[in-house]
Amino acid sequence: MRPESVAWERAAEVHEAADGWRRAGAIDEATKRAVGDAYPDPCITPSAVWRVLTACVIAVVIFCVFGAFEAAFRPDASGHQVLLFLLAAASMVATEVLEASPRFSRRGAAGTTSFLGVVCLLVGFGLFLSETVHMRLDDVLNGMLTAGFVAWAAACWRWGSPVFAALSAASLFVFLGRVANGRLLWVLVGAALAALAARRLDEPAWAPSHRRSAAVLVVAGVAAVYAAANIYSLDQYLIEDLGRFHPSRMVSWRAIRLLSTLATAVLPLAVLAWGLQSRRAFLIDTGIVLAALSLVTLRHYVHLAPLWVVLTLSGAALVALALACERALRRAPGGEIAGFTAEPLFSDERRQHVLQMVPVVAVFTAAPGQAAGEKGIGGGGRFGGGGADEKF
Amino acid sequence: MNPDVVGAVARLRADKVLSGEQAALFDRVARRLLVSVRVEIRALLYAGVLLLTSGVGLLVKEHHGEIGPWAIAVAIGLAGAACLFWVNRRAMSFSWGEVPSPNVAFDYILLLGLLLFASDLAYIEVQFRLLGPQWAHHLLIVGAVYLVAAYLWDSRTVLGLALTTLAAWRGISVSLVSGSLWNIHSDDLRENALVLGVVYVAAAALSVLLRRKPHFEAVFANAGLLLLLGALVSGALDDHAAWATWLAVLLLAAIVVMWHGFRLDRSLYFAEGVVAAYIGLLRLLFQPFRHTQSSIPYLLAALLGLGVLFVIFAAHRRMQDR
Repeated sequence: MRPESVAWERAAEVHEAADGWRRAGAIDEATKRAVGDAYPDPCITPSAVWRVLTACVIAVVIFCVFGAFEAAFRPDASGHQVLLFLLAAASMVATEVLEASPRFSRRGAAGTTSFLGVVCLLVGFGLFLSETVHMRLDDVLNGMLTAGFVAWAAACWRWGSPVFAALSAASLFVFLGRVANGRLLWVLVGAALAALAARRLDEPAWAPSHRRSAAVLVVAGVAAVYAAANIYSLDQYLIEDLGRFHPSRMVSWRAIRLLSTLATAVLPLAVLAWGLQSRRAFLIDTGIVLAALSLVTLRHYVHLAPLWVVLTLSGAALVALALACERALRRAPGGEIAGFTAEPLFSDERRQHVLQMVPVVAVFTAAPGQAAGEKGIGGGGRFGGGGADEKF
Repeated sequence: MNPDVVGAVARLRADKVLSGEQAALFDRVARRLLVSVRVEIRALLYAGVLLLTSGVGLLVKEHHGEIGPWAIAVAIGLAGAACLFWVNRRAMSFSWGEVPSPNVAFDYILLLGLLLFASDLAYIEVQFRLLGPQWAHHLLIVGAVYLVAAYLWDSRTVLGLALTTLAAWRGISVSLVSGSLWNIHSDDLRENALVLGVVYVAAAALSVLLRRKPHFEAVFANAGLLLLLGALVSGALDDHAAWATWLAVLLLAAIVVMWHGFRLDRSLYFAEGVVAAYIGLLRLLFQPFRHTQSSIPYLLAALLGLGVLFVIFAAHRRMQDR
């Protein structure tokens, strides 16, 4: 990243913290202004709405330019490659120019041009391998995945987007899944990636966006290890199915299945313990998600009770657990236990409420009445109106 | 640890911008010696409600013959009533202003109670056919109850559910699960969406003007604009002969929305207006070239996009200056 961009990001971190302090009433307006004066941030930072709007319009402009060239020149195979490479180069130059400008670097435009630039580069490279070098599809895929790993990693390093880090890690693991001993490589590389990235999470020399990228890589590494170790993934050959030659499926050794079963049970707890011990929320969240996946895996193999009992009891247990945690934290001395609190601290509760509204409304809204009514109630009424959508 | 904030807190303390007490608290949070798990607690509650309602739905689906309709209806009704009773006991007294939730679980127990109520009503309707062929009207009852609950217990989430349920009553889906707003094909549905959109936008305006839960404005207005502009866009993109009229109305409505969004400093309204107008104008640009392959509409669309970017940047700057 450019040194100026890193400096702007650091100032933005302090501004964001000061916004939280002010929101919580921990500082007054004059103090917030003094913080702003001490850490000047020359960048214009619009809200998420403006950034998304800008990003969408930029994406449409780039697609339209591509469409205009396509319609005007009707290029052949090599012409497509040239067009894509030119568009990639233009997008990356545009990203450099936008990133260098405090007026434009945080408007969402640079993120879009950099993303579409790398996408054009990879698609152009794929076309080059398949239509100019005449490689087989499997080799083209491997080439694109390798190039994707390098290109997304370079883009992340240069422009600092954690999304690019995730895409780079995804490219790497899909590629590893396609070579021999893919499952073993997922475990080894995943563990190494998580361990290496975890060491950089608090690295003062790194830009804030690079530290966030390191957090994404930790999650990617942990997820890869879990995916490789999960007993369901082992039994269903989920990683082996990524392979290029579909090698004959070997019967898993009993010891490996036992180890995998153990890992399915232990890994989520280990990640949860790591998160609690280091007080990193993203690791706690990862541990919770992995624990949920392990419970689903358990349910797949062991039918302790009918599904409705499992769903109802686990739902009730989750609500009870959440309430118990909240009550314990609220009643603890100082409202905290071992450094954890149920208070919002300096986070934006209002924004979280708004963000939470979208999935709730999207999931629990009933199906349309008239459209369903046309089917007739006797022909399969719907148990719903409140979101449940079961036919009976 | 956030090293940038840790360093800043130390420097601001040394410069006497922050007091010792303030710096100590901020430093603890920046070093992760004090971490909030509020988001995690909320996520657990949300997942719990989702699993519980799914489990109840599955129970009814698989065993309604064995348990019997009355037992199921009464059991779900009692569970829903218990949740709403708890909510009513914990709720703060009613006010037309914003009322904070008494605790983190409040919104979720309220949601659970209302979802159980809605499920119970739907089940009763399916089993006993109280409304007969007009069974879809049970969604009107559900929507109305949600609306009352949203005002009574001051929940924007429940208000959002009320508005989308009322839209579902009129046959319009704004749910990610059961379909999309853009699948409005018939003129009847389009008219329904337009009328509901206007009603919701009017409700948003009245909320502010009459000072009756003015913080509900954004929920009403965004739902209304989504329906209104969605219906107009679907009309403008349709193949029937009247598309030009729909387009004219769309552009007019989008300009009005953008203007009001700009005037009221509501970036989301402005963005909705911009997107709707841009989609409509794309139809206009591509229409003359629909049977030929030409680069002209693409170039014009790209130029139009650059013009839209200019408008976005200018509007944002003017809003910031204000």
